[in-house]
Amino acid sequence: MSRTKLLLIAFAALLGIAFAQQGRVELAVDQAPVGLDPHIVTAFSSFAVIGQVYDGLLEANADLGLDPALATSWTVSPDGLTYVFQLRDGVKFHNGRLMTADDVVYSYDRIMNPDTGSPQASRFTEVDSVVASGPLEVTFTLKVAFAPFLANLTNLTVVPQEVVEANGGSLQQVAVGTGPFMLKEIVPDTYVLLVANPDYYRPGEPKVAELRYNVVPEASTRAAGMRNGTYHIIPDVDPATAETLKGARGVTLMGVQDLAYTLLGFNVSRAPFNDPLVREAINYAIDREELIDAVYFGNAVEGGPLSPGLVQWATPVSNFPCYASNPDKARELLAKAGYPNGFDAGLLTFGTIQVVSDAAQVLQAQLAEVGVRLAINVAEFGAFVQAWRNSDFDTFVSLNGGATDPDGYLYRTFVTGGSTNVYKFSDPAVDELLQLGRTTTDRTERVNIYDHLQKRLACNGPIAHVAYGTLFSAVSDQVTGFKQLPTRGLRYLREVELH
Amino acid sequence: MFQYLVRRLLDLVVVLFGVSLLVFAMVRFIPGDAVAIMLGANTDITPDRVEALRRQIGLDLPVYEQYWNWLKAALRGDLGTSIWTGTPVLQEITARLPATFEITFLALVLAIVLSFPLGVLAARARGTSGDVLVRVLTIIGLTLPSFWVGVLFLYFFSLYLPWWPAIGYVPFTTDPLGNLARVALPTVAVSLPMVAGLTRILRSGLLEVLSSDYVRTARAKGVGERGLFYKHALRNAMIPVITVVGVQLGYLLSGVVVIEQVFAIPGIGRLMLGAINERNYPLLQGVVLIVTAVFVVVNLLVDLAYAWIDPRVEYS
Repeated sequence: MSRTKLLLIAFAALLGIAFAQQGRVELAVDQAPVGLDPHIVTAFSSFAVIGQVYDGLLEANADLGLDPALATSWTVSPDGLTYVFQLRDGVKFHNGRLMTADDVVYSYDRIMNPDTGSPQASRFTEVDSVVASGPLEVTFTLKVAFAPFLANLTNLTVVPQEVVEANGGSLQQVAVGTGPFMLKEIVPDTYVLLVANPDYYRPGEPKVAELRYNVVPEASTRAAGMRNGTYHIIPDVDPATAETLKGARGVTLMGVQDLAYTLLGFNVSRAPFNDPLVREAINYAIDREELIDAVYFGNAVEGGPLSPGLVQWATPVSNFPCYASNPDKARELLAKAGYPNGFDAGLLTFGTIQVVSDAAQVLQAQLAEVGVRLAINVAEFGAFVQAWRNSDFDTFVSLNGGATDPDGYLYRTFVTGGSTNVYKFSDPAVDELLQLGRTTTDRTERVNIYDHLQKRLACNGPIAHVAYGTLFSAVSDQVTGFKQLPTRGLRYLREVELH
Repeated sequence: MFQYLVRRLLDLVVVLFGVSLLVFAMVRFIPGDAVAIMLGANTDITPDRVEALRRQIGLDLPVYEQYWNWLKAALRGDLGTSIWTGTPVLQEITARLPATFEITFLALVLAIVLSFPLGVLAARARGTSGDVLVRVLTIIGLTLPSFWVGVLFLYFFSLYLPWWPAIGYVPFTTDPLGNLARVALPTVAVSLPMVAGLTRILRSGLLEVLSSDYVRTARAKGVGERGLFYKHALRNAMIPVITVVGVQLGYLLSGVVVIEQVFAIPGIGRLMLGAINERNYPLLQGVVLIVTAVFVVVNLLVDLAYAWIDPRVEYS
């Protein structure tokens, strides 16, 4: 064998090593996925896994913009009612079948079918019809112009009909999608193993051969495993554990502005919270800076009704006068509302998320100073949800997730009769602005509308938005390419490399 | 003897029926059902969709009808499917049994192996510094909560012996060494209070027996100290030990929740805790039923062991 030949072979071997997907990235997660059906599940632990297995038409990126996924391009009619999507050619499901426009239509129909019981159906109520207008072309017709429509399409996960039917209509225990990873094995309460999809449509991705989600319920155990090199990535680290991991050798702590926020919600159908003056007074009584130090160890920011993470949309808090802590002003407003000696009320919360129960205590102490005496009831989570849904509370403290489009959170929360308007809040001016925000497609105009809305809601609305925390992830120095998303999505796992 | 066994097993059926009825009623008294938990406190969903979800998992039926359906299936050996994942309950349980059984068994063996010499030593050397040392150690063992010991172990091992696989679980059949390395720490953590408890009971039992008339008589007729101790005294001192072991075994099977949590062990305790938190009614029913059955059977074995140790015990 000649020398050149040997060199060539060696070179080829090197290339092979460089390009082959290799290694297994070990993740530590707090909970096993509770079901795998992308149209049914709501748990983050489920999405963390199936987000790698399935694709939507579009996907959110690190800047909260929209990237093409299964759709490569789209056109919108001038009246904003017709959207035509061109689908990517040659995309294969994990069972080897080619994905077509019919699969998109089938998936949409499955979400909307009441028998499926999909919580995502409410995102598509403005859609009139969906048809496959070509083998790789899908046409959506809307009833009214609906600005958040594109953002909602990230939730339209495309599933193969034959797999649904072969499993009695349920995808809770199987996962056959088009995504970068394929489900290989689930060991109950132990781990979920995904392997790279060799036919994935983005060349060169995923970069690792396997992803393993190790189920480790205890935060301190996850941290210990991170320190000794057992795990490469902890996608979600709570603020207290983050403090302990700061400066740990071989571990990088990443942080991004969370869309989720802690809040103090008021039941405006009950006195005295029906009085906007009282709600404003409470906003003045809250010292958000102090709370951020005590509860988040400083790793959070103040924010109004929209997360400061939504840079293009959020109105800076300097525009909300009640955000400057001022107990005297609070007492004055309370007196004006007819409560010179304050009042007693209940505060409902739950104990499973540390920042929530901590925030409840800090708020209780701060409000007590102006005479608002809150009795905390730390309910078990299921009991909390029940009371929350039935508006069975005076006030409550909780952690709510946000959305990438302002409408996604504001509409359902503040519109009269909205699905998560448990506050029983109703303000015709707010309703009007919310409708306008949906039907206006001009970006600048929309920003303007939501600016008005935020200013109107910040001090007198049914919610005192308390703080937007930092979302922490811990990543081993052996791993590169991981990026965090404010939505907690893990799409960048397909770009992760192991060294 | 045979009659006794049959009667005890019939008791088991009655107990299981009663427990299933109780659990069925109790979990439904807790506010918030599986659908509420599934949707959480921030999901955009209309009330009719919530109803559709409830219908889909059979929560819309009256409670007595739900129980009747469950009972009919259970009598055929079908414990239903998990509300959340659709996996058969029996499959979920059998997947968790090996880890729990292994830790329970090893912890018990460790407790017996350590407590017998310690208890005997303390009793024989009563009042000496050795006895005092054992007693102090047992007090410490009893008062340290095992989850705290577990966390300490975990930190120590991951900081100073990072190569030791301290977290998680692999089945013995796939990797025997890896399995033993992983279960060692949780086993020691849960068995410490047991070692301490058994040692103390054995010591006091031995001391009581040693001061009884028959021991004095045996000594008087010239039985050697060694034979006296191991042949006559130890056997009688074992009755309370067996009782405690039986109770502890039941506790271990269902009560190592926290240890399973700390070491990320996929065991019955975590399964049960999860089922309660998720209002996974069929799964919870199944787990409670299985744990009850094991508990009752262990108690039966303990009762049988009395007769083996003390031939005067008769069953009728």
